[in-house]
Amino acid sequence: MSYAVEINNVHKRFGRIHALRGLSLNIERGMTYGLLGPNGAGKTTLIRSIMGLVKPDEGQVKVLDAVMPSKDIMRRVGYMTQSIALYEDLTVHQNVAFFAAMYELEGDHAQAIREVLELVDLADRADSRVRELSGGMQRRVSLACALVHRPDVVVLDEPTVGVDPQLRVQFWDHFHQLNAQGVTLIVSSHVMDEAERCDRLGFVRHGTLLAEGSASELLERAGTPTLEEAFLKYAEQGPAQ
Amino acid sequence: MSFRRVFPLARRVIQQLLADRRTLVLIFLVPLVVLTVAGVLVRLEPDEIRLGVVMEDEGAALPVGGGGDAVNLGERLTDSLGTLTENLSVQQLDAAEAQSRIEDGKLDAIITLPADFTAQTIQNRAVTLDVEYEGSNPKVAQMFDTLLNRAAVQAIASLSAVSTGSTPDVTVQATYLYGSAEFDQLDYLAPAFIGLFVFMFVFILTSVAFLRERVAGTLERLQATPIRQIEIIVGYMCGFAVFALVQALIILIYTIYGLNVHYMGSLLVVFVVELLLALMAVNLGVFFSTFARNEFQVVQFIPLVVVTQVFLSGALWAVEDMPGWLQPIAWLMPLTYANYALRDVMIKGFDLIQVGGYVLALVGFAAAFVLLSAQTIRRQAVG
Repeated sequence: MSYAVEINNVHKRFGRIHALRGLSLNIERGMTYGLLGPNGAGKTTLIRSIMGLVKPDEGQVKVLDAVMPSKDIMRRVGYMTQSIALYEDLTVHQNVAFFAAMYELEGDHAQAIREVLELVDLADRADSRVRELSGGMQRRVSLACALVHRPDVVVLDEPTVGVDPQLRVQFWDHFHQLNAQGVTLIVSSHVMDEAERCDRLGFVRHGTLLAEGSASELLERAGTPTLEEAFLKYAEQGPAQ
Repeated sequence: MSFRRVFPLARRVIQQLLADRRTLVLIFLVPLVVLTVAGVLVRLEPDEIRLGVVMEDEGAALPVGGGGDAVNLGERLTDSLGTLTENLSVQQLDAAEAQSRIEDGKLDAIITLPADFTAQTIQNRAVTLDVEYEGSNPKVAQMFDTLLNRAAVQAIASLSAVSTGSTPDVTVQATYLYGSAEFDQLDYLAPAFIGLFVFMFVFILTSVAFLRERVAGTLERLQATPIRQIEIIVGYMCGFAVFALVQALIILIYTIYGLNVHYMGSLLVVFVVELLLALMAVNLGVFFSTFARNEFQVVQFIPLVVVTQVFLSGALWAVEDMPGWLQPIAWLMPLTYANYALRDVMIKGFDLIQVGGYVLALVGFAAAFVLLSAQTIRRQAVG
């Protein structure tokens, strides 16, 4: 089976900043892939190029076998941005319905919206304005907007930043449910203890991939007790490729 | 372009505005308040009418039946004008002096009583008065007309040689230094204000709405959907056009029925112009929001985009009266074309064909601004 995401030697510069420096990475379908690295490592640029929001200067990004940016593929990808990115004046339902329309969701919108609101446990708050919700609820609405069109690939940029532990557990439950349905998840984080929940991890630093593998593989190879220390050890050794 | 996305986007823009009650009230109320204030100021009663009398009347002898005495109706008229009301100051001047004073704005009106004024009045059994109005304040002419009639009637009423029992006919032959009869400042200003309000509100609302999309990250999220840049622009234009037209309708109804502004034209043409203005304003708003990081910065674009256009668009001062170097700049302002079109429609009753040149210019501006704003979004998207 082909990869969900194939990133091949991608470079991206913004003026003098060299955000991605020949980064290559493959992500298999149906897994949760964690992109780990400090702030400014190039994670967000990498995610934006997967989303087709950034065109690489060099190299190629393929999602579901199509070269990005591709409007057809965007329909099959969900995106939860780092900020909540909702229309605060509108209700939960209006927000989710808007993004469902933007993705030209096939079939019964009402049914899909109901399902996704149940998934994030907000069915009873559908008519509340987003402004009136707690931060955690807003996060869940944001997730619902990324999932309403039943995407094959979901990209989540720091989905659990500022999320309380209980909600974090709920989110990871959702993510694993989605994996079970064959959905590929790409999760970025700078929190190492999130990482162990991912099937596979990529350490990103200075716009390159330092190391890749499952959490236990990475620990074993580095010979360190924690992923944090492993990250630092890989960082000393330099890029993997 | 898919209207399956455009219309939901337009609907969302409308939902957002409906949710923002304060903005909603402001859109529809502020124009009425400002128009009222402007209307009051513009129509302020002049507290004193300064009248120059050019007294050249040589008098005449009354016919034998009337007593045969010499009489000077010009003097009588001047006297009765002087005693009529304290709101009238009367100065007797020679013709040249009076003319130079009215041009300096030191007189509101000149009444000229020619050498044969008495003789003509007796012969015709009617009074004909030559009045020149300064004309910049139409209220003066209205007030003065009444006063003059009363003074003339008073001056000659007792003369049976002139008034044979009935009230003599008084004809005022008015000329205007500026403007014309039937003319009201608000008639001149209202069309421009109607255009201005739509332009200003749509510009401010779009730039803030679009800035919010950028800052909140919803634009980023929107661009990760299959929607195209042009669909975002067209969606915004559809959403705001609805508000612009409702606003234009409310302002028009209030201006015509509340403020009694003369209105001769077709509502359709006014709406076409308003629509084009709204579309331009949406795109300028999108464009300028790129250069702002927060709402305060957006506000700073208002003097730039709105105020300069108010001054230069012929809203307050006719473009023809501007210094030569300024006129080409005035014709670079989209609002200038809108003002002239709206004025021609509302005052002169022109149809779409007759204002076609202005409308085409507005279409051109709108198209150029669509390209400009679509380009701005794209540049942002790629990065």
